[in-house]
Amino acid sequence: MSDSSELDAYFGPKRDERPLGIVLDGSLSAGLQVKLDPRYAIEKLAVGRYVVIQSRITGSTFFGIITDIALGATTPDLLHHPPDAADTFLLDVYSGGVAYATLHVSPMLMLDEEDDQPRPIKTIPSHFSAIYEATAQDVARVFGEEDDEHFYIGTPLDMEDVQVNLDLARFVERSSGVFGKTGTGKSFVTRTILAGIIRSGLASTLIFDMHNDYGWSIKDESGREYKGLRQLFPDGRVSVITLDEATSRARGSKFDGTLTIGYEEIEPEDIELLASLLGLSDIQTGALYFLYRRLGKKWISKLLDEQYEEEIQNILESGRIVGGTLGAIQRKLESFIPRMGFLVPGEGSKVVDDIFQRLNIGTSVVLEFGNYGNTLAAYVLVANYLTRRIHASYVHRKNLAAGKKGEEPRPLVIVIEEAHKFLDPSVAGHTIFGNIARELRKYNVTLLIVDQRPSGIEDEVMSQIGTRVTCLLDNEADIRAVFSGVSGASALREVLARLDTRQQALILGHAVPMPVVVRTRDYDQRFYAAMGMDETNDSAGQKPSGEDKLFPD
Amino acid sequence: MPESPKMIGRVTRCSTRGFVGAMQISENALPVFGSLCQAEAQGGRSYVVGLVYDISITDDQFARQLAALDEVPQEQIADGQLNRQVPVEFSALAVGFHDDDGFHQSLPPQPPLTLASVFSMVPNDAVDFTSELHFLQMILNAPQLPVDELLATSLRLSAQARPEEERERFLLQAGREVARLLAQDLTRLENILRGLRAKE
Ligand SMILES: Nc1ncnc2c1ncn2[C@@H]1O[C@H](COP(=O)(O)OP(=O)(O)O)[C@@H](O)[C@H]1O
Ligand SMILES: [Mg+2]
Repeated sequence: MSDSSELDAYFGPKRDERPLGIVLDGSLSAGLQVKLDPRYAIEKLAVGRYVVIQSRITGSTFFGIITDIALGATTPDLLHHPPDAADTFLLDVYSGGVAYATLHVSPMLMLDEEDDQPRPIKTIPSHFSAIYEATAQDVARVFGEEDDEHFYIGTPLDMEDVQVNLDLARFVERSSGVFGKTGTGKSFVTRTILAGIIRSGLASTLIFDMHNDYGWSIKDESGREYKGLRQLFPDGRVSVITLDEATSRARGSKFDGTLTIGYEEIEPEDIELLASLLGLSDIQTGALYFLYRRLGKKWISKLLDEQYEEEIQNILESGRIVGGTLGAIQRKLESFIPRMGFLVPGEGSKVVDDIFQRLNIGTSVVLEFGNYGNTLAAYVLVANYLTRRIHASYVHRKNLAAGKKGEEPRPLVIVIEEAHKFLDPSVAGHTIFGNIARELRKYNVTLLIVDQRPSGIEDEVMSQIGTRVTCLLDNEADIRAVFSGVSGASALREVLARLDTRQQALILGHAVPMPVVVRTRDYDQRFYAAMGMDETNDSAGQKPSGEDKLFPD
Repeated sequence: MPESPKMIGRVTRCSTRGFVGAMQISENALPVFGSLCQAEAQGGRSYVVGLVYDISITDDQFARQLAALDEVPQEQIADGQLNRQVPVEFSALAVGFHDDDGFHQSLPPQPPLTLASVFSMVPNDAVDFTSELHFLQMILNAPQLPVDELLATSLRLSAQARPEEERERFLLQAGREVARLLAQDLTRLENILRGLRAKE
């Protein structure tokens, strides 16, 4: 062993407390089997807890996470001859000896003697290495210090004083995902992370805000109000663009623009992703392209407005499309497009350029859907429409930069909810979202997908998701999906299935040194303040404590 | 040797695995089944620790004749039991030894010599010796002995040599050691464990 004082400096003084147990079995891929010291009460341990394993031979330290806890017996006979439950002496003798407890531990990181920071494991500790519960100090060292690029996202379970920090640069570098059942805190943790990204200035974000969760004043089910990103960053770092002025006004949102999309700006590709939502068959979807070629930019108006009947008739007579197909397309578009107030005949608000400019100077844009958020087709249409065009601008800008004819576009994170609607296997192969996920950060654009049903997302896309923040999931297929492409993480399933129903998440991947279960940071006054928000003349803020007291002392 | 141990007899036969001792009969000095004793070895430089597993009194002509009588006078009985020609014999299993470094739980390097003195072990030494439990394995390995009874009795006696408040903990610890050794045979294990608790 080289310099033990160096190790001490890193890990704190040597442990002298009793180990939890010793390593008996295991492999790098399947994790370690640890026999629990009978003096420890198994009930005091929990899946998801951190442990430190001190190699018996080299003294190297491994970090791991408890992924399962089991009861065992040295002989299968115990099942057939259990001791008399009233004989406490017998029970005491048996427990810890003939009957014992085992922990399953997934080793995650190791500290080579010559390194000063944890690195992924390439080996496992030797037989009989002692395993200890990690101290707050151990864990804090693994997750590093909070700084401009490392964002405090929450605390490990049972360690309220330790911060888990997300490496934001790595977080935005690849597409990432936030998963969990409805009501588990996806929107809250997403908003928290977005605030971190915005504050860091590492990327602009474009947020397709389906349920008015991000921009301005969010109310939870109990009526409590939380601040939106536009309020946290009132200095212009966040713009809100609404699709539904009336609703936004009624909610008292401040917004910076209104998005309308002109019929003439819609292309068949924009409608194609809606095929299943509108009930368009494959033939009908294919026919959209034909109609667009024949009718030109005004194709939507011509299909919807009787004034163009003659032209439509001509197409029919050309024999290239059958009446049934054409009629179905007209009917299905008719049932959707005119109901969407943000879709307007002629040209729209040409807001794409405006949004692109904002993103490019580092302003994040929340696209507030208002009541249209309840219409999935509207959400899919707008997200697809804008993303296609903004991505095209990024590709253009990036190519100019590659030819030294312009500046690199600023990194962009596009946030979509109900992501499986954009990325399910039947569409992911040919949609813009599938492309973005697959091309990684080639054009400085990545996705942050928020979804309660990750099993609906195409496998290949899922495997490209760099960082996964997962709240409680209980569907087996969804759990499997979240771990796809993650080596050795299957043991974490147990951890995932046991999260609290709210405000707890398993974070794994690119932006954290090792998988970690956190209680996510409270989204409250303290958070607002940490984001730099000045509370002094904010009437919506909580009253300073003391004012509520009837008899202040 | 600290304290003054009671002499219980002299060695008549021995090997490194154990020894047989004999003595004049006297009820209160009679060794007890399962108790520990020590026999001088290596010219007094060490003691072999033995665990008493058998006590026998062989018969003689006179005893057999007396036994056949309808009524044996009291003084005859006392005489026959105390002033016997044929001594009481006890057998001990070697479970360790004591030298300048203290107790060791392994076979002694040399057996005691014939006629070496055998002493009962004083409680303090018994506690000291049984603070380790490797000797249980030596008991279990002994062929043709009432091993289970011996084990339980010896542990029970070792517990009794301890202060009241330590007995429970000792028995639990010993029980666990036995469980470790006999984990494959739960029925047997359970019998021994019950034996540990008996007659307290
Ligand atoms: N970090 C947090 N701080 C405060 N409250 C939270 C936090 N996370 C979740 N909650 C509570 O849980 C509720 C559900 O969270 P939400 O993000 O809306 O769930 P989801 O988007 O998964 O349906 C919120 O309305 C809020 O009351
Ligand atoms: Mg939500």
